[in-house]
Amino acid sequence: MAELQGLGAQLSEAEKVGVEIVAISPDPNEQSQKVAEGLRLGYRFLADTDLLVARRYGLIHARGGPDGQDVPRPATVVLDKDGVVRWFSVSHNFQVRPDPNDVLRAVRAL
Amino acid sequence: MAGRQSPWHNQRVESSTRLAILSPLVALGAIAAYVLFFRVAVVRNHPEGYVAAFAVATGLAVLAVTRTRGRRWPGWIALGISGLLLIAGAWFNFVAAQVPDTATALHVGERAPDFTLPDASGRPVTLADYRGKKPVIIVFYRGYW
Repeated sequence: MAELQGLGAQLSEAEKVGVEIVAISPDPNEQSQKVAEGLRLGYRFLADTDLLVARRYGLIHARGGPDGQDVPRPATVVLDKDGVVRWFSVSHNFQVRPDPNDVLRAVRAL
Repeated sequence: MAGRQSPWHNQRVESSTRLAILSPLVALGAIAAYVLFFRVAVVRNHPEGYVAAFAVATGLAVLAVTRTRGRRWPGWIALGISGLLLIAGAWFNFVAAQVPDTATALHVGERAPDFTLPDASGRPVTLADYRGKKPVIIVFYRGYW
């Protein structure tokens, strides 16, 4: 959640309305959604339970989970209005996430 | 000469005991700082920082053990704590947390693959529905932490 919070907290009110932030994980997401709404972060949490979308995006960390299960590679993707990729970042160390400022710079450059 | 001084008045013993106390403080302080400032991108994105702090702490403990002429156990305890943290931290950061490269389907300038997934209330959300309406930031995350 921490990196999600960093990202959302730095979006201005106008940007929160103008940009959709979609957070995808294999977890059931009722809890995440509640937390995000409590923090007024304005994300949509989508449940990719079977990792179908992570697989389609080529973002699978095989056997990377604590119980040896497949998990998504942490990644952040910025799409313009036409759904075209304008910027992305994929982690090589799951502790490391893109700096929210870099993401926002990519969004503001659209 | 040594017989006239108790160990606590011996300068070498004192400074090595101080090193033995300082060592785990540096290591545990690094953990506390990492947790406390986890939301700061520069801290979160440099996990090798805590490994470096554990290495410094281990070095201090080695000094505490080798430089004393008096009791060695404070130094050994410090070396045990800091050395274990160094091994565990280095293994976690440089082995366990590594994410192997994959061929992603992401290419700047190309349209992202479409998908439909349920949101928290179970309603399906389709990426293509945002087309022509607003930019989208997609964040893939591991979920359970």
